[in-house]
Amino acid sequence: MKHDKRFYPDYLSEILATIFICFELLVILALLYTPSIGRQIDFLKPFQPRPEWYFLWLFELIGYFPGNTAVIGTVIIPIVYVFLLLFIPYIDKGEKGRLKAALVGIALLLTFAIFTLLSLL
Amino acid sequence: MEKVLDWLDYRFGLKRSHYRFLQRRVPSDLGYTYCFGGMAFTYFLMLACSGLLLSLYYVPSEKEAFRSVVMITDEVTLGWVIRGLHKWAATLFIISTILHTIRVFVSKAYHPPRDLNWMVGVMTFVLVMFSGFTGYLLPWDQKAYWATEVGTAMARSVPFIGDNIMNVFRGGPEVSGATLVRFYSLHILYLPLSIAVLLWTHFHMVKRQGISRNL
Amino acid sequence: MTRRVFLINIIKSFFALIAAGAFATLWYIYPSTAKKRRLQYVFVLDDDELPKRGVRKVEFKYSVDDSEILNRAFLVVGEKGLNVFSPVCTHLGCYVNWDNNRKEFLCPCHGGRYNIYGQVIAGPPPKPLNRLPFKIESGKIYLGVTV
Repeated sequence: MKHDKRFYPDYLSEILATIFICFELLVILALLYTPSIGRQIDFLKPFQPRPEWYFLWLFELIGYFPGNTAVIGTVIIPIVYVFLLLFIPYIDKGEKGRLKAALVGIALLLTFAIFTLLSLL
Repeated sequence: MEKVLDWLDYRFGLKRSHYRFLQRRVPSDLGYTYCFGGMAFTYFLMLACSGLLLSLYYVPSEKEAFRSVVMITDEVTLGWVIRGLHKWAATLFIISTILHTIRVFVSKAYHPPRDLNWMVGVMTFVLVMFSGFTGYLLPWDQKAYWATEVGTAMARSVPFIGDNIMNVFRGGPEVSGATLVRFYSLHILYLPLSIAVLLWTHFHMVKRQGISRNL
Repeated sequence: MTRRVFLINIIKSFFALIAAGAFATLWYIYPSTAKKRRLQYVFVLDDDELPKRGVRKVEFKYSVDDSEILNRAFLVVGEKGLNVFSPVCTHLGCYVNWDNNRKEFLCPCHGGRYNIYGQVIAGPPPKPLNRLPFKIESGKIYLGVTV
């Protein structure tokens, strides 16, 4: 284990460089892709609602639970999702712990990725 | 400059108490994936700054909200830039938070004593998602209205008390001006404050426990 | 009362205070239902403008607390006479559209489909489309909206 860097000034300068790059990236995106203004609320015009990109997976997912099972998609799955993520440190216990945790983690990530992709199709 | 700093240091005693923090050794073989957390925090600060600026012009009322957003974009000097910064910082914040979570997971940095810190991180992430959801309504346009209509209607599917939960979120049976005020308050007061407190504990634990080694 | 018992009681009542405060907070947060909601009839269409068979989309205007609201609904003339359907999808509240080729109401959100009687054919909606109350007086159709 090597411990040959000081927080100040070595590490701090790296942090500042990272902040600088982050800021540049943000400013470039903000200047190039200005958020558009939407249309005023209007009940008369047909409109296809879409959530922000990080909720697309959930939006897609709730379409798969018809009738009275809707609660699974809208409430149970998000809560289970959060609790699995929350208790990862305790899933990773014992001999095969890391394997179990890895499976859970990959499953959660794939749920997010696959359903986001499905909603974009 | 030196004198001013010394004057302040004499009053606050900052140098002595932070000397060990500033002089501590940091492992030199950390990969660049270790910067995602810091990136997320950077974007959090930028969200706070741009949000504070937007709040100077935004009017959280049913009749004025949309017009004020149009005004920020079209009339206010550099308003469109601030709005763009806020919007993009939110996206980049969530991306870097996801990447940070993956990095912590891969480097197994969630074992005790860091288990609590992992959980604090997950809680922060949940609040961040709520921030995104509540912020989405504030422009009070078609996109915002319908996303909120659907998002809050989700609560209704809970058996027995679903309608009551939805009423709490909406501030009434329909998405209305009351919903806008509720979401505004959550978005600019409750959620940022809670996130700030959680982040403080997050960083405090990192400071105490040190950076985890990839075993 | 001994000093010891007094202290224990003080601590207990402190927690009781917190519980009462939490309860009052929840009560405060829950939106009040003081405002009575009533049915108001608004004119939408003349009787003779109705199709013999089929669906007619109507737009109408009404006011709630000084603010005007424009909304729409579907008048459906079928074998059982006139029915008025609310466009609100019973799944998550998106507005459905009438597809004249397929003769179905389609929801743009999660693909819910209803037939001309408002019954669910496919997709996630749990209930048929809501029927709105209406009345016909001297050749004019009035629609009941709750305000």
